[in-house]
Formats: sequence, C-alpha cells, structure tokens
Amino acid sequence: MEKLGRILMVEDDPKDVELTMTALEEYNLANEVIVTRDGEEALDYLYCRGNYASRSSDNPAVMLLDLKLPKVDGLEVLRQVKSDETLRMIPVVVLTSSHEEKDVVASYKLGVNAYVVKPVDFHEFVNAIKELGVFWAVINAAPPGSVRK
Amino acid sequence: MARSNTLERRIQPTVQRYGVALLSVVIALESALFLKDQKFQGVEFPIFMFAMALTAWYEGTGPAILALVLSGIAFNYYFTEPLHTLYVTPSEVPYYVMFILFAALVTWFSAVRRRVEKELLQSRDDLEKEVVERTQQASLLNLTHDTIFVRDMSDSITYWNRGALELYGWTAEQAIGKISHEILQTVFPIALDDINAELLRTGRWEGELRHKKADGSEVVVASRWSLRRDENQHPSAIMETSNDISVQKRREEEIRSLNKELARWSAELQVANKELEAFAYSVSHDLRAPLRHMVGFAELLQKKASSVLDDKSHRYMTMILESAKRMGDLIDDLLAFSRIGRVEAQMTVVNLDQLVNDVLSEARQEIEGRDITWRIGTLSACYGDRSMLRVVLVNLVFNAIKFTRQRARAEIEIGRANGGKQEVVVFVRDNGAGFDMKYVDKLFGVFQRLHHADAFEGTGIGLATVQRIIHRHGGTVRAEGIVDQGATFYFSVPTP
Repeated sequence: MEKLGRILMVEDDPKDVELTMTALEEYNLANEVIVTRDGEEALDYLYCRGNYASRSSDNPAVMLLDLKLPKVDGLEVLRQVKSDETLRMIPVVVLTSSHEEKDVVASYKLGVNAYVVKPVDFHEFVNAIKELGVFWAVINAAPPGSVRK
Repeated sequence: MARSNTLERRIQPTVQRYGVALLSVVIALESALFLKDQKFQGVEFPIFMFAMALTAWYEGTGPAILALVLSGIAFNYYFTEPLHTLYVTPSEVPYYVMFILFAALVTWFSAVRRRVEKELLQSRDDLEKEVVERTQQASLLNLTHDTIFVRDMSDSITYWNRGALELYGWTAEQAIGKISHEILQTVFPIALDDINAELLRTGRWEGELRHKKADGSEVVVASRWSLRRDENQHPSAIMETSNDISVQKRREEEIRSLNKELARWSAELQVANKELEAFAYSVSHDLRAPLRHMVGFAELLQKKASSVLDDKSHRYMTMILESAKRMGDLIDDLLAFSRIGRVEAQMTVVNLDQLVNDVLSEARQEIEGRDITWRIGTLSACYGDRSMLRVVLVNLVFNAIKFTRQRARAEIEIGRANGGKQEVVVFVRDNGAGFDMKYVDKLFGVFQRLHHADAFEGTGIGLATVQRIIHRHGGTVRAEGIVDQGATFYFSVPTP
C-alpha cells in the first residue's frame, strides 16, 4: 500500500463530508483526513491558530476545497493560500457543485491545481474522489514541508 | 458716320437753344414794330425784356446773353433816337444797365430753378430705384419659406413677410405696428436684456424661442436676429429670421423620453439578469448537492441492504436512482440553456466544415457498432460564437444519431441549403423516427418532447437550446418531418 499524505478537506455539508469519506474509505485513502467546516477554520488549520494552535506545523499533502462555504468562502481561502509563501506549495483541488464558468475561471486565475465538479452520479463521484486522492495524496510528489506517514 | 452722328446729337440742342434766343428776339422785334405802327407807346422795352427773360428762363445763360445782345442792338436800332443808327446816347445807358441786370437776375433765378429741378429729379429717380429695389427684396423675402419680420428699436413691427403670415397666422396688416414680443407672446431662453446686450455687441443673436400663434397654439422656432444700423451707426432695426422647429422639438422630446424609458428598461433588465444569474448560480450549487446526496446514499443503501431487499425493493431503489439522475441531467441542461442567454457571445469567423468534423469525431464513440451512411456537404464559413454553434451542431447531430437508432441502415446528411445572400443555411437530415408536422410548433419549446421517454431518452431542452443560440445569432430555425421517415432541421447564421 502506498504511503498516504494528509488530506485537508474544507466542506460545510456533512452529507458531502460523509460521502467523500466513504469514497476515500472505499480506496483506503481515508487514513488521515482533516475536515474543516468553513473557510475560517481551514485558514486556522493552515496557520496553526485557534483550535489548531497546538498542531504540528506541517502542511497537508493536498487540500480539497469547496467554494460555497460559510464565513470565508473557498475562493478567498484559495487566494490567501496561493499568496502566502509557506502555503502556496500546497496542491489545492477545488471540489464543488458549480459548473459555472466564472467560478472555474476565477479559481484558475488564483492558481488552483485542479477544478473538479462533483458529479451527481455516486459512482462517478467515487471515481473522481479516488483519482484525486490517489493522484494528489499518493502519486504526486508532495511539496517540501508536508509530512508523509 | 457714327462719330458725326454723335457730334450732331451734341450740337443739335445747342443750336436749338440759340435758335430759340434768336427767334424770341425776332418775334419780340416784329411785335414791337407792329405795336409801334399801331401807335402803342413805350411797349418795346417790356416786350424785349419779356423775350429775353423767356430765353433766359428756358434756355440758360448762353442764349440769354445772345438774346440780350440782339435785343440791345434791335432796341437801339429801331426804337431810340437817332433812329436806324447804333448810336447810344448817355440818357439810354440806364435802360441798358437795367436790361443787363434784369437779364442777369432772370438767368440766375433760372439757374437756381434748374439746379433745384435737377436735384429733385435726381432724388425722385433715386427714390424710384430704391422703391423698385425694396419691392424686389420684399417680394424675395416673401418667397422664402423662412419667417422674417423686422422691428424697430422699440420692438414695433415694420415688416412682416409671407412666411410670418403662414407660421403665425397674423397678416402683415395685423402685425405691422404691433410690439413683436407682445403679439407673439415670446418666451425667451434667457433674459431679454442679455439677448439685447449680445445683439448690440455682436450685431447678431440666435436661439430657440417659443411663440404663440394667432390661433393660440404654441410654436418653437430657431430664431436668428440681426441688428441693422443706420448711416450714423445707430441701431435702427432688428430682423428676426425664424424656422419652425416644433416637429423637430417634439421628436427630440419623444426620443428623449423613449431613451429614458429604454434606460429604465435596460436597468430593469440588468437587474433581472443579475437575479437570473444569481438564481442559476444557486441552482447550480444548491440544487445539485441534495440530489448528489440522494443518489449517493441510495446507492450506499442499495449496496448495504442488497441481501435483505426483495426484487420489488430493488426496483424501487433503481427507480429512485434513475429519477435522481434524470433530475441531475435536467438541471444541467437547464443551466446550459440559461447560460446561452447570460453569457456574452464571442463573435468570430467560424469554419463550419471544421466544426462539423469536430462534432463527428466527438460522436465517434456514440456510433460504434452502428451502420450509418454519412453525406457531408461543404458548408463554408459563417460569423458567430464558435462554442455556441458547436452546441447547435452537437445537438442536431446527436439527435440524428439518436432518432435513427432503430434503422438497420441509418442515413444522415449535413449540407448547405439555399438561403439569402447574408446567411448560411445549414441542414441536418436523417431517415429516423421523424415527427408529425402537426406538432412542429412544439419542437423547439423547452421541455417539449414528441417521443415517449422509453423510446428516446432526453430532457427536451436540446432543440430549445439550438433555437435560442440561432436566435442570438439573428438567424432562424425550422424543421420538416414525416413520421417514421425522417426529419430535416435547418438553421441559418450570418455570413462573415
């Protein structure tokens, strides 16, 4: 079995969290997934502050980011991550319901690494998550600073 | 000849004048001699005096001198002692002096009279000329369509042309002598004092005025004023030339209000568009999520409970999943459909032949294992949004593939039909299920389907999308079909 990087999931919908976790579990990729429920919490995690003040300061191997989030939205999180010297190396995958071109364009302009639309079909969804998880958390050479187990 | 002629003409009056002098003296002499014979005493002197005065009066100084000399000689010769000599006695000298003085006086009077007469004639001629000129000018001013009137410096109207009569309805007789601003109830754009100041400074002014006509209705005129000065450079009159611009004004007003309305509509439309966009965005995000959960958890349930579910329950689960999936498709298609209206078209020259090739290679997977005869004509280029036109062709080609599914040997033809000069008409023809022309009106409506879902799948948005895209290009769509024989879809797009 491949070594797994830590996955940071930013998702406010618990059902989506559960489905994503199920999909990851299906392929044994759910070993270490940190779930944050809004943009602020995600940024707290990344900057080791608030509830995450005591965590080890390594970066996740990949961040799965929803766009529509309470408090700080996904595009804002993306902007902050990509404009921060220490965080910009984290691969960010936008995982969203939105087909909207303006979201896609905005995300790529901010330097997103991949943009994935959550398919309605569960099989497709599972496949998408699997491919994402395998590619970013396993195959892709993790950026320096992220710890592999 | 011509020269002697002119000489003659110049000499003739002179000869005539001196002739008159000679003749009048001769007549006076004859009359005096006759009266002397009749024993009339002391009449010779007045007779000669009269003849000489007559000559002086009518013929001027030269003939007067001649008459004076001749009269003197004749008088001396025939009527003073010694008779029939030219001897002058000292007692006669006062007579001659009187003679000469009288002649001089008469001549002088005559000269003055002539000069006055000449001047009078001259000024009469001038006046006549001026009158003719003025009359001509006035009739010229009457010919013009412009409204022209002249007023003096106390605003009293002195001239009123036909155009003024036609515009305002007042005749020249009614208008002349009236105060122009009063009879016309002029409304000035700025203070009259300011207008007059400019008029005095520059000699002219122009602007828009509102006047009242004789019938009480209002008229807007573009008016040009010019100041006339007399020979001493004192302002003497003001000429107002005006054109009726009421219609123009009304149109401007209409255009302005229409523009205002348009701006309001446009703003409302923009708001509506924004709302629609927000709505579509929300649909895109929020409507798909629960659907995904339904499908996801239903599948998980199906998997988990697979062993405890009977056949009927399995079928229910399948139907739940199918319906949810169909709803997902509907949402996606609807979003795509609404996007056509929301997204700005990127107009370029589009090579339709290349576009058809792209679409066909996309369809390759779809037609695997099918026996389809393709007839692809040359389409040339058009002007449009490439990605939108691609959607059109994808819809029509995939429809053709779909509806010929039940044919053992499908035939699909794509070509160019005859159309106007400014358009490219493309058709896609198949020998598939076709449709009843009775329902052709429903074909391009959203969610309109002419086939049962179990015969041909679909959301009923494809052709509506096609129509919407073509309409955005300013083109038209139409369809022809015969049940079980096939259908042909035509669309037109502008040429580059």
